Amino acid sequence: MAKAKWMVAAAALFGLACGAASAETKIGYLPSTVGQALTQAWKTGIENTLKGQPNVSFQALDAQMKAEIQVTMMDDFINQGYNAIILQPIDAAALTASVKKAEGKGIPVITLNTDTKLPHAACVTMDDQGAGYLVGEQIGKALGGKGNVAIIQSPPGAQAGVEREKGFRAAMAKLYPEIKIVGAQNGLWNKDKAIEIMNSFLQVNKQLDAVFAVNDNMAEGAMIAAEAAGRLNQVKIWGFNGQKSTLTLIEQGKITGTAYTNAYDQGATAAKYALDLLSGAKKKGDKTDVVVVPPFAATKDSVAQIKPEQRW
Amino acid sequence: MSVSAIRRLILTGLLIAIGIALSIANPTFLKLDNLMTMLQEASLTGIVAIGFTLILITAGIDMSIGAVIAITSMICVNFISYTQLPAYIYIPIALAAGCAIGWVNGFFITHFKLPEFIVTLATRGILAGLALIIAVKDEQGFVKNVFIEDPVFLSFGETVGPVYIVTIVFILLAIATQFFMKRTRAGTNIYASGANPTAARLSGINVDRTLIGVYMFSGFCAALSSIFLAARMMTAMPEFGIGNELDVIASVVIGGTPFTGGIGDIWGTIIGTLFIALIKNGILKLGLSPYIQPIVIGGIIIVTVVADVWYKHHAEKKATQAARRKAMESKEVGA
Repeated sequence: MAKAKWMVAAAALFGLACGAASAETKIGYLPSTVGQALTQAWKTGIENTLKGQPNVSFQALDAQMKAEIQVTMMDDFINQGYNAIILQPIDAAALTASVKKAEGKGIPVITLNTDTKLPHAACVTMDDQGAGYLVGEQIGKALGGKGNVAIIQSPPGAQAGVEREKGFRAAMAKLYPEIKIVGAQNGLWNKDKAIEIMNSFLQVNKQLDAVFAVNDNMAEGAMIAAEAAGRLNQVKIWGFNGQKSTLTLIEQGKITGTAYTNAYDQGATAAKYALDLLSGAKKKGDKTDVVVVPPFAATKDSVAQIKPEQRW
Repeated sequence: MSVSAIRRLILTGLLIAIGIALSIANPTFLKLDNLMTMLQEASLTGIVAIGFTLILITAGIDMSIGAVIAITSMICVNFISYTQLPAYIYIPIALAAGCAIGWVNGFFITHFKLPEFIVTLATRGILAGLALIIAVKDEQGFVKNVFIEDPVFLSFGETVGPVYIVTIVFILLAIATQFFMKRTRAGTNIYASGANPTAARLSGINVDRTLIGVYMFSGFCAALSSIFLAARMMTAMPEFGIGNELDVIASVVIGGTPFTGGIGDIWGTIIGTLFIALIKNGILKLGLSPYIQPIVIGGIIIVTVVADVWYKHHAEKKATQAARRKAMESKEVGA
């Protein structure tokens, strides 16, 4: 008798949990890593958009920069019956199968910055290649079309960084063929490694006029190295993303510029898109709907246009 | 009941207890889809862990398994991108490459009497670099992760009914290896070479050849896992597998195969692999931070190893006491 009671209680509990799970809308956020200003800002943007919505729950996971982990986490979102997923793929090819699987089960996937190989609901992107091109133009103009530049790269195969570098190199090749790219080294996205690389660039090249680091953390590293070598005023340093600390350094004149994107806005756009799909306000098309968030070249002259509440 | 049987019973009990706890905490845990993807994860690690179990039984270590996964996937993707050869030709080639790497490891370890850790750490570095070098590049020289569309290759990532093929292969390989270890002379030779290499040599076992064979098998297992991983992700990346060694080592050690060699078996490794997969899956289900995962796994390793050492000590003490008592008794009888 007691046993039967327990089983009824357990069944009720189970039913309750199931019922609760199906009543609310679950949105998952899966960036390459949570430990970056950019992915944090996206998260804030998403959360602010979802906050006012009734019955919407939100969960973020950290893929720790490994595609295999990200695929596992995608599977988990799918198995748990999430209603929409906002994903920053670590790699376009590696996440395609997961995105396909999710969409096959009727879960729309909205990608951030990196598109995947097969069509899905939407991609809200900051146009890495175009922004890289923009940085190239800016550096070329400032140098008067002549000089030596170096690149602090992302890890090989990291698509976002590679696209930025491609855009930059395209601008150099097309607009400023006389500018020489004297070095390109992998800074692993991080500041410490960038300091080390910048030191070697400075030692090898007696004349180094500009450096393009494919993210802001590495630009800050390059600045530290150049300052220590006493050559900060001879080298123009450009970063990418436009995080708060870098914008401050631009105001101080220590970093020349960065390709800024309003990441809060970008996150909010993605979240809004997900809600519209779920409410039926937007319909999923045959092709990926690409929403481009335009980049903005932030330099000492233009940085004041970015308001405090737009800084992340 | 033997020590390892008790241990296994406790682990299986824990496994079930955690499973029940998780299904109460989050009902999606018991969904068939979730159980099957969990088994898929477990199998990818588990196939490598089978090879690694044999390595630990010989008291060795193989740090190159992650890099073997990387290079094998790069070999496949090169064939896919640059040749028209069908999958049933290049997959055996890739598996053979895994064996060949194992042979190189074994050769340096046995012929130059080098420590296993140093040799395999060196090959790990070399292979990780080579994987980047042979990775498919785009026209500007950047590493490009190819989107695999070869249907034969991709079929390795499919399911039979609800069960992933990789899970079936894992189970079959586990049964075959267990049989090989316990029922064949070569299997006994592996245990003997690990327990006491000198004694094994004196009793006529070719220890060097046995070791080389074991490293080749480990390379083969890593290569096999790599193919399933690439098929699952529909791409291959030069950093595949690198850093996953720890999960493999943890699975085997939790399964009861110690670093000291001479003992251990595949059943334990299966339980260990399931244990790790369950914890990884559970942490996501409970909505905990994935950062906790390595801490939990590390903690479990410490607890199981301490329990092992304590139990071994306890058992030895009991055995010596029993022997002493017996000796006393026989002395009394003699007097």
